[in-house]
Amino acid sequence: MIDTSSRHSLGVRRENTKLSFLWLPAVFWYTFFTVGPLLAMFYISLLEWPGLIAENSFVGLSNFEKLASDDVFWQAFRNSLIQIAVVLPILLPTSFMLGYYLSQKPPGHRLLRVILFTPALISLSAKSTMFLAIFAPLGLINSSLELVGLGALSTPWLASSSTAFGTVMAVELWGGIGFTAILFAARLSGVTPDVFEAAALDGAGHWKRIWAIAFPICREYVGVIAMLQFIWVMFGSAGLILLLTRGGPGNYSTNLSFLVYDTAFSQQQIGYSQAIAVVLFAIVLAGIALIRFSFRAKE
Amino acid sequence: MTRKNRGEKLPLVSHIIVAVYVLILVTPFYFVLISSFKSNTEIFNFPFSAPASFGLENFVEAWERVDLDKALVNSALVTGISLSLTLFLAIPASYAIARFRGKAGDYVERFFALGLLIPSFAALVPTVFLAIWMGLFQTREFLYLFFPATALPLTVILLTQFMRAIPSELQESASIDGAGRIRILVSIYTPLVVPGIATVTILNFLSFWNEYLFSLILAGPSPTERTSQVALPILVSQTETEFGVLLAGAVITMIPVYVVYIILNRRLEDVLVAGAVKG
Repeated sequence: MIDTSSRHSLGVRRENTKLSFLWLPAVFWYTFFTVGPLLAMFYISLLEWPGLIAENSFVGLSNFEKLASDDVFWQAFRNSLIQIAVVLPILLPTSFMLGYYLSQKPPGHRLLRVILFTPALISLSAKSTMFLAIFAPLGLINSSLELVGLGALSTPWLASSSTAFGTVMAVELWGGIGFTAILFAARLSGVTPDVFEAAALDGAGHWKRIWAIAFPICREYVGVIAMLQFIWVMFGSAGLILLLTRGGPGNYSTNLSFLVYDTAFSQQQIGYSQAIAVVLFAIVLAGIALIRFSFRAKE
Repeated sequence: MTRKNRGEKLPLVSHIIVAVYVLILVTPFYFVLISSFKSNTEIFNFPFSAPASFGLENFVEAWERVDLDKALVNSALVTGISLSLTLFLAIPASYAIARFRGKAGDYVERFFALGLLIPSFAALVPTVFLAIWMGLFQTREFLYLFFPATALPLTVILLTQFMRAIPSELQESASIDGAGRIRILVSIYTPLVVPGIATVTILNFLSFWNEYLFSLILAGPSPTERTSQVALPILVSQTETEFGVLLAGAVITMIPVYVVYIILNRRLEDVLVAGAVKG
């Protein structure tokens, strides 16, 4: 009895050793190409490094001290906050309602799904090219305004200080609402219909059913989506801004993630750019914690 | 009963709002498609009308100006090689995580789960130095190696779920037959997780094919190395005011993804929904 079990555990151990060789390459690969650079970010933020091929020197925390008095940094910081404060509160409720709408299977919902899906497949550079043509001074928006006699409202959307950043956010929301709605619809399709039928018998309208029943049921899921969107908005918008406005005019549409890119590759201040990256990283971690906390399951 | 039915119906205003949003989603695509056949004068004066002719001049021009043939080949190489390498690394890893008996397997899984939360953008600049150090900066070869790393967390997590669903009796009976670990993986497990492999491959295809910022910085803008996503914005800077040519270029780069969507349809939708929440 004892004999067999010890032989068994020996077998398990030998088996485990063999198995761990199989995940080793993946773990190594991931560490080498992504964990390594991430750790390097913290170290580089302590260096003075004026260009990709220049020599670097250790300067401690002075990059971070410089941040405090850098107006461009604060403007980017403000813009990132504005972006979160505008994009998430618009995106989450509207896409949740649209997801509910879709889950009710209204006439044409199949086609609607395809249409909501289409923007999710387009690449950043194709999307930007499209919107460059749409928001150009002679582009679709301005010529449409002209057509309906509102030519006075036309403006160089991506080049004007008052509209550039708003336009970037509008482009983010454009397809984001539809795709997020599909995610919510998928979650809602797992909710048993009796719950809604009971509510309907009580005379609850759709509005009430969305916010008093569907939303509480999906609370944690909404939290996950909120977190993913938050991460995407904070990190992922650098490419969009680079292609649409290059952070301009001035720094009106510069946010933190674009500033990391711009400081490193346009201004060649490598160490300083990584100090910004460290701050951005810390903000994202804090934001993730905050979102998890506020959407945690209510008992 | 009547009350219930009334309650089931969505109000008219919701249909109207959705219709407006649909219009906002569809119009840009319609505009891009028709404009890619038009001259500037036509685009500016009649933005919504169908083109006067369906000539392909704009497409040819876009194609030639930024060597789209080379760029598409580069994109196909980067996507294809990265996809293969991703599977080559992730299939054994997820098999091992699923079959491991003990804590270490959970740790490895959690390591990749944590990776899902940290987009590779966070380490964009240090990755450049890694590429320089490896002597692969501004080459598409670096993307072959780098993209699989970025895709590993999601791929491993999803494949592990598929591997777990396979009953371990299968494995035991194969072991008794004297089949080695690798042979069991290749000839028993891999065929059984083909649906999972398809799922992750579709997801990774989309993210590799569409990737822009890393391709721009790591592989660079030179015509021999750049992918189609990098070539397109170069067309923008070259032909600032020729919208027809520019949008024709955009249409060309969009074609592969939408062809895949047309072929896979519902399957692609399900996969993206599954992948979005895991990722």
